[in-house]
Amino acid sequence: MLTHWHTRSVLLALFALAYVSAADDTNRFSGLPTYRSTVSEVRVTFFATDENNHPVATLTKSDFAVVDNELVVRNFRSFKHSDETALDVVALVDLSESVAPRFRVAMNDVLQLVAREQSIPNDNVAVLSFGGTSGGMSGGIRPAVLCASGCRASDSVSRLLAVKSGGTTPLFDALIFGADFISHHRRAGVRPVLILFSDGNDTISLHSPREALEAVVAGAALVYSVDMLTSEIQTSGSTFLRQVSDATGGRYFSLRFSQQDGAATVLNAVLEDLRASYVVAYDLPSHQAGFHALRLLPTHNLNLKFHSRNGYDYEPSGH
Amino acid sequence: MKSTLLLALVLVSTGVSVAVAAPLGIYQHGTVVRMRMGDCVLMHRGFMTAFGPPQAAATEESCPEYTLVTDKVVFLIVGKSSNQLVPLAEIIDFRFQHRELAIRVDDARHESKFAIKEMTLRSQWELIQKHIEDQLNDSPHRPVDTSLALSSRE
Repeated sequence: MLTHWHTRSVLLALFALAYVSAADDTNRFSGLPTYRSTVSEVRVTFFATDENNHPVATLTKSDFAVVDNELVVRNFRSFKHSDETALDVVALVDLSESVAPRFRVAMNDVLQLVAREQSIPNDNVAVLSFGGTSGGMSGGIRPAVLCASGCRASDSVSRLLAVKSGGTTPLFDALIFGADFISHHRRAGVRPVLILFSDGNDTISLHSPREALEAVVAGAALVYSVDMLTSEIQTSGSTFLRQVSDATGGRYFSLRFSQQDGAATVLNAVLEDLRASYVVAYDLPSHQAGFHALRLLPTHNLNLKFHSRNGYDYEPSGH
Repeated sequence: MKSTLLLALVLVSTGVSVAVAAPLGIYQHGTVVRMRMGDCVLMHRGFMTAFGPPQAAATEESCPEYTLVTDKVVFLIVGKSSNQLVPLAEIIDFRFQHRELAIRVDDARHESKFAIKEMTLRSQWELIQKHIEDQLNDSPHRPVDTSLALSSRE
């Protein structure tokens, strides 16, 4: 079950339902009669990729339909490019023993991300970690903030360089921690992105994978997961990473098959996706309370894949 | 028996409409109004499922189910795999082929075949929809049992 703040953050997010009320709050105490007219509108931010997994720059509203709680919606109130022009990037890095062989590669990727001044302002990048050891002490079960802003400062860089891999993997707890961190740092017009470096295998979390998924879906961030798995065999960890990315409208990358360095690949994709993003708005098709599953599907070209959050919570007004 | 009769009726009416619309092609038209991911049991029915080893039984994979509304009949069709999609254009073209529904994909000659899970006369289907709608209006904040509809939520 989603907690109250999760529900609120969803309602406040771009994606959420917007209740347009004709009544002004100031009228509530003025003794004047209040006329209320409530219109429920769903707004979905999304982008599409083609058969080569490249973002599609130009879309029209006839290219897709929305499936909202099983109902097909083709009539949209509005369709336009997303207003989001900047990124807020949180890198969440798995430092546990299971990723030790690729740990140094991942940390180099994180340092490259932090260094990309042209793409992300210094205050818009943070690095969190889970598992691992730091200064000879166990990183332990609780996720840690390695730097929250000013990550390019020399002491922050030194801290990033000092981390060591080892220990257990509280991945699900870390995702909830990351979603909470992002919801507390959210700003209008800025797209929050969580870049998760992990093999997807949790060993010790207090929370379940379902709770972790619900937390990231309720949060506003798109999760771009970078699979640190070295084996060629697809594992349940890789499947989970795909699930998390798909559920939030982000994407999944595997470092195994990447020709360039991971940081460049992921950050370029994040930026291209941002530029190719649209917002579609439509009338709420069903007033059924609770979670509304959501999917965008092509109307003609079945090679198009649409990336968006996989649902939202609807609470009827007055509840 | 009832569904066989209905299929026969539909096939006869298809034959008539095909004859009339022959110069324009062999397709009928309809609109997909609902879509959900359901089980693939329909696809796995058969001798191996019934008498074969456990792994031959239905897998946990989910298959897309579509409610396709036409002039006279409403079809519930099921894809054969999780990624078998119907283009959700306002109007789609389809035809019957060996007790399956072949849907024209992307305005091309390519067709995608779907199993027919249920068929209902449109008038009946509309009555059911109205009943659900009335239920929703009577109790706007109570979850409605949509199992009465063609596509029920699991």
